[in-house]
Amino acid sequence: MAAGTTVKLVVPSMVRLVDLAHSTAESMAALAGLDEDEALNVGLAVREAVINAVTHGNRQKPELRVTVTLSIRERSMEARIRDEGNGFDPAAAADPRSAERLLETSGRGLLMMKGLVDRVRFRRPQRGGMEVILTKMLSEDRK
Amino acid sequence: MKATIREVGDVRVVDLNGRITIGEGDIVLREKVNELLTGGHAKILLNLEKVKYMDSAGIGELVACYKRSKDHKGTVKLLNPSGKVYDLLQLTKLEEVFETFRDEREALASF
Repeated sequence: MAAGTTVKLVVPSMVRLVDLAHSTAESMAALAGLDEDEALNVGLAVREAVINAVTHGNRQKPELRVTVTLSIRERSMEARIRDEGNGFDPAAAADPRSAERLLETSGRGLLMMKGLVDRVRFRRPQRGGMEVILTKMLSEDRK
Repeated sequence: MKATIREVGDVRVVDLNGRITIGEGDIVLREKVNELLTGGHAKILLNLEKVKYMDSAGIGELVACYKRSKDHKGTVKLLNPSGKVYDLLQLTKLEEVFETFRDEREALASF
């Protein structure tokens, strides 16, 4: 039983470190008991959140860090991805599936996160930056 | 990601192998498609059978390739997207943009 396990990564804002966060999250999801497909979904959702944090939040400034905290709980796995940027209003994000935005070449990260995990929340920590909280539920028989 | 090009009549089939992701696969895809377009080949079939997954940057590059092919009076079509890739095309509604095929001969005949 892996409940209670927490892993924390603190990385500079560099695109080539996105893979590290993805693979760590995917491995943690497998440790939590998720099957290969669901573990990949968790990895991809974390990947999208880290891409947002690196490119939009921290604007690829290597001196700004991205903190990824992965936790396995009794009934869920949670990933918190925090940047040190100015934040944004997730409610203002346009739907990339709308007819006028379908051929845009960016803007799909949030949609993908929402489609890949069970819950996506945003928080503005008092010390600044933006935090995305991704939750994937674990079924009873996976505990 | 690896990308190899096959010539089948006036269609260029690009066999992709790996992941279409930020800073890696998306760049390979962009370069290969640009190479074809600048060479006058705008009928492009992307074989996604061996692409395990894409991220939003990779999906964005797919759309960019599609738009550039249209600028060159051609198009980009998709062949055999794997399970996760197809899931992501559905999630983003891009299955409505890209003509997608399971059979290569049928795909080639559609151009």
